[in-house]
Amino acid sequence: MNVEILKPFVEGAAEVLEFEIKTTVEKGNLTLQKSALTTDDVTVLLNLVGEVYGAVLYCLSETIALKMVSRILEQEFTEFDSMAQSGIAELGNVITGKAIVKLFNAGYRVDISPPTVITGKAVKISTLDFSRIVVPIKTDLGMMEIHLAVRENKQGQLSSSDDFIPLISQKAS
Amino acid sequence: MNVKFLNPFVDAAYEVLAKETGTEIQRGELSLEKNHYVSDDVTVIIALVGAVEGNVFYSMSQETAIRLASRMMSEKLIDFDSLAQSGIAELGNVITGRASMKLSEAGFEATISPPSLILGKGATISTLDFPRIIVPLNTSEGSFMIHLALRQGLRTGLKTSQLQVPPSPQGL
Repeated sequence: MNVEILKPFVEGAAEVLEFEIKTTVEKGNLTLQKSALTTDDVTVLLNLVGEVYGAVLYCLSETIALKMVSRILEQEFTEFDSMAQSGIAELGNVITGKAIVKLFNAGYRVDISPPTVITGKAVKISTLDFSRIVVPIKTDLGMMEIHLAVRENKQGQLSSSDDFIPLISQKAS
Repeated sequence: MNVKFLNPFVDAAYEVLAKETGTEIQRGELSLEKNHYVSDDVTVIIALVGAVEGNVFYSMSQETAIRLASRMMSEKLIDFDSLAQSGIAELGNVITGRASMKLSEAGFEATISPPSLILGKGATISTLDFPRIIVPLNTSEGSFMIHLALRQGLRTGLKTSQLQVPPSPQGL
């Protein structure tokens, strides 16, 4: 996968986590996974459509998810209830949203779907023939993994002749 | 959720499943679920983005999944291996693709995401503040449920060419 696509997610995660959780963020070594993901306790799944498309998954343990949500919402969470789930989903949403803006600046028009939160240990999530690049993100509160099961589609599923109206005539590049 | 969004999925599922199984499909009672969904053995998740947005799940038991996948792949599959998983994901993809075409005809343009599969009973899957409409379908291979967590997207579905060109700014 293109590093141009990877960087926005790593940077997005670093920026959001540093701001929301007031932690230092360190990126671990990347790995490539082809087989199904075996979940930790909590997984936030978001889909991307457009010039980068596929699935983005944020995986973490319940303990760490609760710590993060407690710090973000400035409220003590002892149970992974629906409010905590919303909080974690929103974290995934904001990180992905930031990544989308950076992707746009890098020339990729991408759109994001609403998130789903999957809870349950040892559940398998398969992204089928999309291999996943796994980015471990270490914070003061513990580790979170970002799984990117995405591909490039430079012609753009979103763009069609109707959507693009050149206002300025452009010379062929 | 709008009924406009519901029918394209039910019709698409009917058509695809009837063709794949060669038998009549029966629909059970619809229900609305606000709580999280506790997963069956196999769940396909596909997202929609555009004038309609949200997530669609297709869930079934492993046995039904193997039988439906066998039909999709035209091969007798025994285990729910990666070939069978591809088959079920493709089934979800075809139904959702067909539904999105119908939605487009009704004026709701949406792009569908690639499918993801959740394998394992008893996981909780939450669509947060999107309630789900659940459509149980009975096929010759077993029960097949469609969960729709959709709403009207912020995008109106207007193509850029349909937008009004703003007048040129004053004083420039």
